[in-house]
Amino acid sequence: MHPTSHSDPAADAGSPPPDDAALALYLHIPFCHVHCTYCSFNVYTRRERLIRPYMAALRREIALVAAGTSRAALSVYFGGGTPSLVPADEIRATLEACGRAFALTDKAEITLEVNPEAADLDLAGLRRAGVNRLSIGMQSAHESELKLYARLHTQSDVEHMVRRARAAGFDNLSLDLIYGAPRQTLRLWQESLRAALALEPDHLSFYSLTIDEGTTFERWLRSGRIPLPDPDLAADMYEWATDTLAAAGFEQYEISNWARPGKASRHNMQYWRCRPYLGFGAGAHGYAAGIRYATVLKPEDYIARIEAQSAPGPFPFSAAVDWVERIDRKTAMAELMIMGLRLTGEGVSYTDFARRFGISLDSVYGPAIAPLKAAGLLASDPDGRLRLTRRGRLLGNQVFMAFL
Amino acid sequence: MHSGRAGSSRRYFAVTWLANNMDQAHIRNFSIIAHIDHGKSTLADRLLQITGTISEREMQEQVLDSMELERERGVTIKASAVRMQYQAHDGQTYEMNLIDTPGHVDFSYEVSRALQACEGAILVVDATQGIEAQTLANLYMALEQNLDLIAVVNKIDLPAAQPDEVAQEIEELIGLDAADVLQVSAKTGQNVEQILEAVVRRIPPPRGNPNAPARALIFDSHYDSYKGVIAYVRVFDGTIRKTDVLRLMASGAEIEPVEIGIFNPDMQPIDVLTVGEVGYIATGLKTVRECRVGDTITQAANPAPEPLPGYKQAKPMVFAGFYPSDNDDYNDLRDALEKLQLNDASLVFEPETSQALNFGFRVGFLGLFHMDIVQERLEREYDLDLLATAPSVEYQVVLRSGEVLTIHSPADLPDESAIAEIREPWMAIEVFTPEEFIGPIMDLVTKKRGIYTSMEYLDQKRVLLKYEIPLAELIVDFYDRLKSATRGYASLDYHFLEYRPEKLVKLDVLVNKQPVDALAMIVHQDEAFHKGQRLVSKLKRLIPRQLYEVPIQAAIGKHVVSRANVKALRKDVLAKCYGGDVTRKKKLLEKQKKGKKRLKMIGNVEIPQEAFMAVLRLDDDD
Repeated sequence: MHPTSHSDPAADAGSPPPDDAALALYLHIPFCHVHCTYCSFNVYTRRERLIRPYMAALRREIALVAAGTSRAALSVYFGGGTPSLVPADEIRATLEACGRAFALTDKAEITLEVNPEAADLDLAGLRRAGVNRLSIGMQSAHESELKLYARLHTQSDVEHMVRRARAAGFDNLSLDLIYGAPRQTLRLWQESLRAALALEPDHLSFYSLTIDEGTTFERWLRSGRIPLPDPDLAADMYEWATDTLAAAGFEQYEISNWARPGKASRHNMQYWRCRPYLGFGAGAHGYAAGIRYATVLKPEDYIARIEAQSAPGPFPFSAAVDWVERIDRKTAMAELMIMGLRLTGEGVSYTDFARRFGISLDSVYGPAIAPLKAAGLLASDPDGRLRLTRRGRLLGNQVFMAFL
Repeated sequence: MHSGRAGSSRRYFAVTWLANNMDQAHIRNFSIIAHIDHGKSTLADRLLQITGTISEREMQEQVLDSMELERERGVTIKASAVRMQYQAHDGQTYEMNLIDTPGHVDFSYEVSRALQACEGAILVVDATQGIEAQTLANLYMALEQNLDLIAVVNKIDLPAAQPDEVAQEIEELIGLDAADVLQVSAKTGQNVEQILEAVVRRIPPPRGNPNAPARALIFDSHYDSYKGVIAYVRVFDGTIRKTDVLRLMASGAEIEPVEIGIFNPDMQPIDVLTVGEVGYIATGLKTVRECRVGDTITQAANPAPEPLPGYKQAKPMVFAGFYPSDNDDYNDLRDALEKLQLNDASLVFEPETSQALNFGFRVGFLGLFHMDIVQERLEREYDLDLLATAPSVEYQVVLRSGEVLTIHSPADLPDESAIAEIREPWMAIEVFTPEEFIGPIMDLVTKKRGIYTSMEYLDQKRVLLKYEIPLAELIVDFYDRLKSATRGYASLDYHFLEYRPEKLVKLDVLVNKQPVDALAMIVHQDEAFHKGQRLVSKLKRLIPRQLYEVPIQAAIGKHVVSRANVKALRKDVLAKCYGGDVTRKKKLLEKQKKGKKRLKMIGNVEIPQEAFMAVLRLDDDD
């Protein structure tokens, strides 16, 4: 799918998801050898012995949930954690389970997050199993920064991984980079981004570092071991990256995501378009049938719950679901704005909003939008779409808050 | 609240003897003078217990302090009175009226009236701390009223207690024989009965003419929603009957009492209060301002020729703007202030409009402590979210036309060209300190425009320093600084001296080129430049970055003395979402939005509440 093909009706953010709308599948792999210093995700170290029973539970959960629906899936995303810790045969078996459960087409986007140090990862085997996109956690090209993040790889590991992936037939590679980190200078950032571009990726994701509660970084910040990053410097990094990537032929389609034409992540688009996706595994999130839900966090609990589940529950629930929020109309509208405006390319379509909610966008949010337009953060474009301006992309929260 | 006592279930233990009027010779009226934390309330509790006024079962810690706030802060805010029966060692039964006094200098007028109602006072001094300035101030008041004193060293159960040394100090400072100083522990009850015996023997019975026209002093009051204002009275002459039509001599109000009675400690109705007795009159009046502390109650049919001496109206000294954070709460704030005023005659307020903060009230207080209490009660008991401006004093502005204006807010200062002179209130302060802190205290007072008056050695180590200082300086962190400069050892007392003309100017603060009235301050000309710079750099740190660059300026008239810019916000956006966790994103945004809501929108600039108090912390070293 082309990220900027606004005329493509399938790409419309606002069209109501019909009951048979295709689903995205997110599979969470919560295992890591080391906990990165910035990471606040649901991950666990020293639980590698659980990988195989966990993958078995994952396949069981997929089958149990799928029993409640006949919908197809357009993407599968193995996220983590460290999915590259999972042996290729487990990935293959899991994708087969997805295929049996959801009618996975050949065109489906199947992503696996990969840590660059996974030198003996069976890339060819993964490719054969159906994985067609790798998201590689490069983070930085500098050893000092990788050490600060407690990453286990080096820049040459990244280069090696990209070469092997290309050789294994992957034509859709994404690199993740971190910017706005403590002590990171503009120059360090520029060098990392240039190093990433030199590897000719198809897609780039930038993680604007936030110091989250409960992370090692938070502890270090409190003890004075690291300084609080300067947000203005982060803005400089972002601006420079925006220009550099445009010059390099990348299209920005989301606040933090750039892709070569046609290589925007279909899976991630599903989130931002507020379309349905299912979350499988421990601490996974899903959104389907008007409900947002999350599963139990600990992998042990997850396995136990799924193993104890004897029959399918009401779609989209499995026994692992631990938290539920019914999304009412008002919330759905707010979410569509907050998520949809992150899509810098397609933005939010006035006609699609009206079609989906039966009320015009202006009559709901006109008063909220006007000052943001006046401040130069939002623009209504002639193609009938509301988008963040270039300045608005860096001040997204100031915009999103207005819709809550 | 006091009114909570009236109908409480505690009344059942009231015994009939209390309703009988004692002959004058068997009445003792006394109060307890003590510094905060020296154990006054604990001692009062113990006296109530020993005399059987309150049973063990009903013993509640610090019965006399009935407001929640009082209990938390460990200070007595409103006076209270209770009647006890004591069978003395001489075999006779005495009516003992304990009149409690507020423990803070803001309420010194109330203290003086409570003391006027007594013939004697118990001076309580902490055996680990010794005498403090506050104690001394109240003590002087007691001596002015010619009260007989019983000195008590409390907390002798503590390991650090030095009762003999403290008794010696009392002898040196006050001239009471150290041998007569009682050594007690209110906490354990040790020797407390000796106090009651001393009250019987050393404090004289009330004088006064039972046959003269009635005169009763109001020394406190509270509002009761059923019975109106309850006046706490001490009868000096004659008799007050429930059936009398009574007159308040200062306010002129005439009342038919709803009820008269005594406190034991709950309100217990009786028919007559006779000369020398302490009790209450339920006046039916709607506000405490019609029934002010210090006023004299007499019979309308047979009025006394002269009221009791010493009446004055307590005058607010400190003023601040109180604004509801949410403008919709304006009426709630007014209602709450009115309710507080029912019980607090010294609280004044009037509507005030601020360009910055919209509609609110300028509220007058006896002092900063009073202000703190009112603010806390509004926030806690009335659940109001308040924005308080920095406190100000009352200025007298002499115009070129000769007219004299009284202003309570810097925003009200007329144009410079119209002003001939500005006068500000000066206070006399007394600081009681160990001598090693004389230097730091001198420094502090000098920085605050204070003038040295005198120094007096109270003993070999302790000094009483006297200064004159503008009240405006006193209300800005002076007390905190004094405490930190002296590691908490110094204590402070103050009273109003006079208005003095000073070279004062108005320092305006402009945010985004608009003057913000609520940030304006009146400062001494010599300090205007320095204060302007400090204020601007404080505000620069406190005001969050906005979508536009925001200049902050301090100006005197048209002359800008300081300027700084709050840079425009450039980056504020959430990182990419993890595995479709939209809820976490929304929660973060909601949290951010909540924080934003707490900011006050002034023009198109969002200003946090702390900014309005920044003027109080201009001397901070950060």
